[in-house]
Amino acid sequence: MSKPALLSLQQALRKSFQSLENNQKVWNRVLSECSPLMVSLGNLAEQWRALSNVQLSNTPLRDFPDLEERLRFKLLQATDTVLGKLNDKISALQSVRDATSNQVSAVFQLYEQNTDSLDLLTVTERSATAPSAADMLEWLQDAERYYRQQFLRRKTLLQMLRAEDLSLLESTPMRWKSMETPSAEDRITDTLCKVSFFMESQ
Amino acid sequence: MEGPSGDITVTSTNRKCSAVTGSARKIKDNAADWHNLLLRWERLSDKGFTIAGNIVNLRLSGSQSDQQQQVVEPQSPPSAPSRLAGETAELQDECCKLKDVLDKMVVVLMKMERLVASQRGVLDLEEFQFGPEGRKVPLFHSWTTKQFEDLSCVLLDVFRQELQLKQTILQELAHTVSSDLCMVYLSCWLHQPFIPPKTRMMLEALLLETGHRPL
Repeated sequence: MSKPALLSLQQALRKSFQSLENNQKVWNRVLSECSPLMVSLGNLAEQWRALSNVQLSNTPLRDFPDLEERLRFKLLQATDTVLGKLNDKISALQSVRDATSNQVSAVFQLYEQNTDSLDLLTVTERSATAPSAADMLEWLQDAERYYRQQFLRRKTLLQMLRAEDLSLLESTPMRWKSMETPSAEDRITDTLCKVSFFMESQ
Repeated sequence: MEGPSGDITVTSTNRKCSAVTGSARKIKDNAADWHNLLLRWERLSDKGFTIAGNIVNLRLSGSQSDQQQQVVEPQSPPSAPSRLAGETAELQDECCKLKDVLDKMVVVLMKMERLVASQRGVLDLEEFQFGPEGRKVPLFHSWTTKQFEDLSCVLLDVFRQELQLKQTILQELAHTVSSDLCMVYLSCWLHQPFIPPKTRMMLEALLLETGHRPL
């Protein structure tokens, strides 16, 4: 009697891992696209800092009318452009977070609906080609948590950014980089390896 | 000779689509020239930025190693003067390259001045032919000939100011000790503060009006 419930759970798990594989690719691609944007942001911060350290009236540039104002305008424009692109990337990361969360909650809902037929023995049983349902559920939950937390941290960092706040602008590239968690990323890759036989079987 | 009567009506669209001659031809050619000159300016500016960056790097690394040299070895070893000479030669080389770029930008500006003069000539001719109000029907879609001249003058003014800024940067860059000021010079070169964002729009409007871009 537990068989049909287990089969449908396994189907749902396969679908989730397929989705996870795709989402991982998207996530990594979007993050790598953020790197040059962070470099640009750092460059712009340097330019802002230099401008604030210089008294233009003491330099040969004093003869140019409104130069400082005009340069500030252009720097602001450039900064806004980069921040706009970063916001687009954050939206893409949000899509990954949402997709993962939806998938995982659907699987868990299915599991909870069938707890009568899915006893402890069934969910902890594993074979040579298939990890236990319990393990797979746990791995999915770990991945979902990782993307959820990563998204929140990165989004919060960018939301605090203002073009006028120079020190924040200067520290952002470093702080963005510090959010990289290769160990967690590797765990997701490991998970996908561990379920590869399971994914192929039917 | 007899032929079918009245099936080809000469509409204003027909007239514009037919071979553009005279003043309209001149203005249309000028518009294409403006487009090409702006493109040339951007390329030269990009090239100049790379060179300016090299100059700053050479200048700053040169002054840094000079200071280190003094701290580490107070008695100057024999290799120091030749290394210094090498760096100076490289710096001078880059400055020459930047001067080349700037000379080419001066040429671009001169061509812009010629465009403005040409535009002025077209306007003068029109005033001569039609009186001070100019022609009644616009040469293209809606602009008066005066509007073409005004636009040309605005563009020339913008680039003339920008060129002056770039010339100042050329003169000062290699002699500037402060790294912050060097960075400001580089910012100025890159972002071109005297060229407002609407410049691109003005060019597009010109190309649309003269039929270089489809409406």
